[in-house]
Amino acid sequence: MRVLLHLDMDAFFASIEQHDRPELRGKPVIVGSPPDKRGVVATASYEARTFGIHSAMPSRTAYRLCPDAVFVTPRMARYAEVSDRVMAILNAFSPDLEPVSVDEAFLDLGGVLHFWPSPEALARALKQRIRDELGLSASVGIASNKFLAKIGSDLNKPDGLTLMPVDPEAVVAFLAPFPVSRIFGVGEATARILTQHGIRTIGQLQAVPRVQLVPLFGDLFARHLHDLARGLDDRPLVMDWEEKSISNETTFEEDCASPDILRQTLIELAEHVGRRLRRNGKRAKTVQIKVRFPDFKTLTRQVSLPEPINTDHELLRAGFTLYEKLAVRGPLRLLGFGVSALVLPGEAQPPRQALLFEEAPRARRQKDVRLDQAVDALREKFGKTILTRGGKAP
Amino acid sequence: MKIKVAKDQILKGLQITQGIIGARSTLPILSNVLVETDEDKLWLTATDLEVSVRCAIPAEIEKSGSTTLPAKTLFSIIRELSATDIAIEVDDKNSASLTSGASFFKILGLPKEEFPPLPKFDSGFAYNLDQAVLRDMLVKTSYASSSDETRQFLNGVLLSFKNDKLTAVATDGRRLALNEHDLECPKDQEADLIIPTKAVAELLHSLGSEGTVKIRAVKNQVSFEFGNLLLLSKLIEGNYPNFRQVIPSQAEHRIQIEREALFSAVKRVALLTSDRSNSVKLTFAKNKVVISAQTPDIGEAYESIPVKFTGAELNVAFNPEFIMDPLRRLTSDEVYLEFNDELSPGVIKCDTPFLYVLMPMRIG
Repeated sequence: MRVLLHLDMDAFFASIEQHDRPELRGKPVIVGSPPDKRGVVATASYEARTFGIHSAMPSRTAYRLCPDAVFVTPRMARYAEVSDRVMAILNAFSPDLEPVSVDEAFLDLGGVLHFWPSPEALARALKQRIRDELGLSASVGIASNKFLAKIGSDLNKPDGLTLMPVDPEAVVAFLAPFPVSRIFGVGEATARILTQHGIRTIGQLQAVPRVQLVPLFGDLFARHLHDLARGLDDRPLVMDWEEKSISNETTFEEDCASPDILRQTLIELAEHVGRRLRRNGKRAKTVQIKVRFPDFKTLTRQVSLPEPINTDHELLRAGFTLYEKLAVRGPLRLLGFGVSALVLPGEAQPPRQALLFEEAPRARRQKDVRLDQAVDALREKFGKTILTRGGKAP
Repeated sequence: MKIKVAKDQILKGLQITQGIIGARSTLPILSNVLVETDEDKLWLTATDLEVSVRCAIPAEIEKSGSTTLPAKTLFSIIRELSATDIAIEVDDKNSASLTSGASFFKILGLPKEEFPPLPKFDSGFAYNLDQAVLRDMLVKTSYASSSDETRQFLNGVLLSFKNDKLTAVATDGRRLALNEHDLECPKDQEADLIIPTKAVAELLHSLGSEGTVKIRAVKNQVSFEFGNLLLLSKLIEGNYPNFRQVIPSQAEHRIQIEREALFSAVKRVALLTSDRSNSVKLTFAKNKVVISAQTPDIGEAYESIPVKFTGAELNVAFNPEFIMDPLRRLTSDEVYLEFNDELSPGVIKCDTPFLYVLMPMRIG
């Protein structure tokens, strides 16, 4: 049986600000847009949360709830730096590490547990080290799979440490009271369909036979829901160095038929993937898009490229070629963009095929690379909405 | 409609239409084959809206008519029949009764009117060519075309009717194959046609070694008429890259080499390349060329072939597949390699009007 740990930093951005600026400690701190601008809260400190403020809430609303809160503009570069240090500490406890985002990671304890009296002891030592070295608190969940570990880390926040049940029957009973939205992959749209069928809690979902879920969600997703409702999840950890693919997808709040919005969404998805590729200096040889129709019918199309790519221009060109080939008619429920067959930067450079018609594309490529670097730097510093691609994509 | 037809005749025709009908048609009617009577023959037509094929087979027509029938079902049934003759009768509801020996099948079709109309070729653009010539030109070029869907204008073979020559060109941006054939081209009938890969594959499959092929074109469509077949295809839109400008105008070195010897040496040495390091090195030294591969974690291979060469030693690396591709399709005993230095394109020529430009691999 696996022993996995999920770590989630508590109010990460706000806690960093309180650590770096001692005068903010004990005060309600809101990292995000200033209250006089359109924009939302990125993170609220626990002091601010007592006023009902939470992330993604408009800053204006937050201000109304707590006029005394200190609003701080995000310093993404600083948070990324602290994130790297958190990941380094985790890595010291177990090299089987999957970073999920800046403030969240999974750790497989299987290979290191024999050094410790118990998983709990390891988790305490880990939390203590993060506190000692960074002055930050984290919440941890320990379970036999990713889904349960993540639920665990959220249960006793902040500074939590939760050991999830192991016995299958206990797991089923434990999950029953939670809302279905806790299940990985259940967003607003899925939740709405479930609610229409009177299913709000995981317990209610457990009572539904899988065959009844198939017509609503298709075979694959029905299996996903059915298994996770019982706490069954065999997803492996994806280590950074073996990341085989990067993808990004969006389920629309309401099925989307507008060609302009679909185009813009595809651009944003591809840019996001591009940024992740470039951040790690990777390039991709395969590009994939995914569309899901309102009836859950899902199509994917992929293309293999002769040379690996990572500029937004190239990614978008490939993405739109596939998208146009699908000739999507009617509304979409979901749109996704992904890359695979990744080429790592550290790998010895294989001989490169010279090209016949090279002059113009090469100059263009250099420009694209510089443009992406500039855009990535701006977004890193000011957040990803600072710049938006205008006009038609290539 | 009521007809009698020989099993192997209709099977041959259906086999050709099967090549066109995609596994994932968007419209149900595209999974059907159009069946039409015409004097003493039967026309079978299939289309995927890009490429269409029309094929005539001899038949005994008792009552004329037309319908469309599910191509895959029809093909599978007829393939399995044991008798040599088949009687087909179609009622006005497009339901077809097949009788052959002791077997009886009833299959349901769709009305002819739903079948997409084929483009008309009424312009004056028309050329006649030996089937064998066109086939040979496509064999020697088409492998070099690109399958990179993001560069659609390279996903086919260019047929350029200009300056009293038909020039066939294919390139994927890394190598380029070109073949020429003298052909009288009136000034008002000069044109560049990019034939998509799927149509080229059908031509390679169906063109014979005897008889002529008639090529016609209208705005964005081309047709090839030969034997009992008519192949229609959309043309790829877009401008083909200026291929003349990438053909080296002169060569520092030119060596003559036995085609088979070069092909099999490259094939052997390529066994020690990998997907990641897919290149062989050609080292030209005094009176020999050494073909070699060194791949980390795998090993190395060397093979030398005697040639007439006297210049300073020169190394050029190529993708081995790209060297072998033209060599395995040419027929002449000797080929000529032309090159300037390790970063410039290499050229393979032979005694016929054929030319192959190949970009080297840059190592490091």
